[in-house]
Amino acid sequence: MIEIKDIHKKFGKNEVLKGINLKVNKGEVVVILGPSGSGKTTLLRCINFLEKADQGELSIGDTNITFKNATKKEILQIRRQTAMVFQSYNLFHHKTVIENVMEGLTTVRKVPKKDAEEISKKMLHKVGLSDKYNYYPAQLSGGQQQRVGIARALALNPEVILFDEPTSALDPELVGEVLSVMKKIATEGMTMVVVTHEMLFAKDIASRVIFMEGGVIVEEGTPDEIFNNPKEERTKEFLKRTASF
Amino acid sequence: MDKIFDVTYIFHSIPLIAKALPLTLFIMILSLFFGLILGLLLTAMKLKNNIIINSIANGYVAFIRGTPPLLQLFLVFYGLPLVVHSIGIDINDWDKVVFAIITFSLNSSAFLSEVMRSAYLAVDVGQREAALSIGMNTIQTITRVIIPQAFVIAVPNLGNLIISLLKETSYVFTIGVIDILGKAKLIGANGYGVRQLEVYIGVAFIYWAICLIIEKMISLYEHMHTSKFLKNNADH
Repeated sequence: MIEIKDIHKKFGKNEVLKGINLKVNKGEVVVILGPSGSGKTTLLRCINFLEKADQGELSIGDTNITFKNATKKEILQIRRQTAMVFQSYNLFHHKTVIENVMEGLTTVRKVPKKDAEEISKKMLHKVGLSDKYNYYPAQLSGGQQQRVGIARALALNPEVILFDEPTSALDPELVGEVLSVMKKIATEGMTMVVVTHEMLFAKDIASRVIFMEGGVIVEEGTPDEIFNNPKEERTKEFLKRTASF
Repeated sequence: MDKIFDVTYIFHSIPLIAKALPLTLFIMILSLFFGLILGLLLTAMKLKNNIIINSIANGYVAFIRGTPPLLQLFLVFYGLPLVVHSIGIDINDWDKVVFAIITFSLNSSAFLSEVMRSAYLAVDVGQREAALSIGMNTIQTITRVIIPQAFVIAVPNLGNLIISLLKETSYVFTIGVIDILGKAKLIGANGYGVRQLEVYIGVAFIYWAICLIIEKMISLYEHMHTSKFLKNNADH
């Protein structure tokens, strides 16, 4: 269970998060939609402290902290309960596929190499890359790299996986393979917070959709409520402009 | 009877000159070793977010880059004994080679630190974020993710610096250390100095040969490692 209370974040004079409250229950898939600059990526990155929020509280599992006064130890604790899948995949270029997936287990969780290898192989199988263990990221397509990124996140068995526009950098043809992996892990019960522009994915997979604009949550609800019965004017505007469904 | 220029003398002199090669290499390798250590420290100082520490490091590098290495050798050779004497230590008995190594360590550290700093910064920022996101602490991130990649980026430039360092060692004959260039000069002085050109050509071959070996090692390393680390294409 993840809860964010009253999070604020400024970049210089620009207030990007203006007091957002968010609750994600176990097993939920929360999709965050919104125009550029709405703060949705910043919100995600504040959860694992890749950005430091100015104000607000965060609780993940048993850990309760404030963004402002979080200690290094607390930040590490939070990061060990979360995992992120990046828009530009960010696989470790100097390590093979299997090494990439194992790294978090062996280095961070101190899992013995043999066990880490077994878990990693299972995860790579789940994302459909069993035949690519010893490849380097540079030898894979974007879609394959992203699936390795997902395997890397899965291997850590986190409380929640944070997806930061996971398919935005992909060829349209490769988007599908990544989305189907995400659908698979969603149906298996993984808690996911996904920032994306893929409306159809949101309609299909999300338990809840949040529409953000200008640093606040404009509207949230089930996919049916948001896509078919939006209440707010700005939500309707956004959906009209991005008509893809 | 004697020719103006005797090509065979070149090849005759090379083995004689090469007797001093171990000393040249010794100076180069030790200077490189200490230069790397000091250079790493300087790089860390330059990357830190502290203006005082930054200024010290940058000031040091500016001084080294702004003065000729030969001058630095004289400053160390004549100046260090005086500086150390003021705190009561007498180093006038030290082998002159030590002064050479100190000078070239200090000198190379400045250039090495620049190479290492730019290589470190050239590593994609996403690498660091990925490492942090899976729960690595700062030390793990730097040693397991950033430095291995930065090293590969740095190698071509490091190769250039090593070659420069080799050639800089030739200054040591000015303080009376007989490296290969010094040896060449001595041999050339034999027989009233008529064979100077030949011996200098001979020692040129030796420098060239070593540079070729260094270049070959660097390019082998690059060939073995960079193909894996091609910059990540978004999708292909």
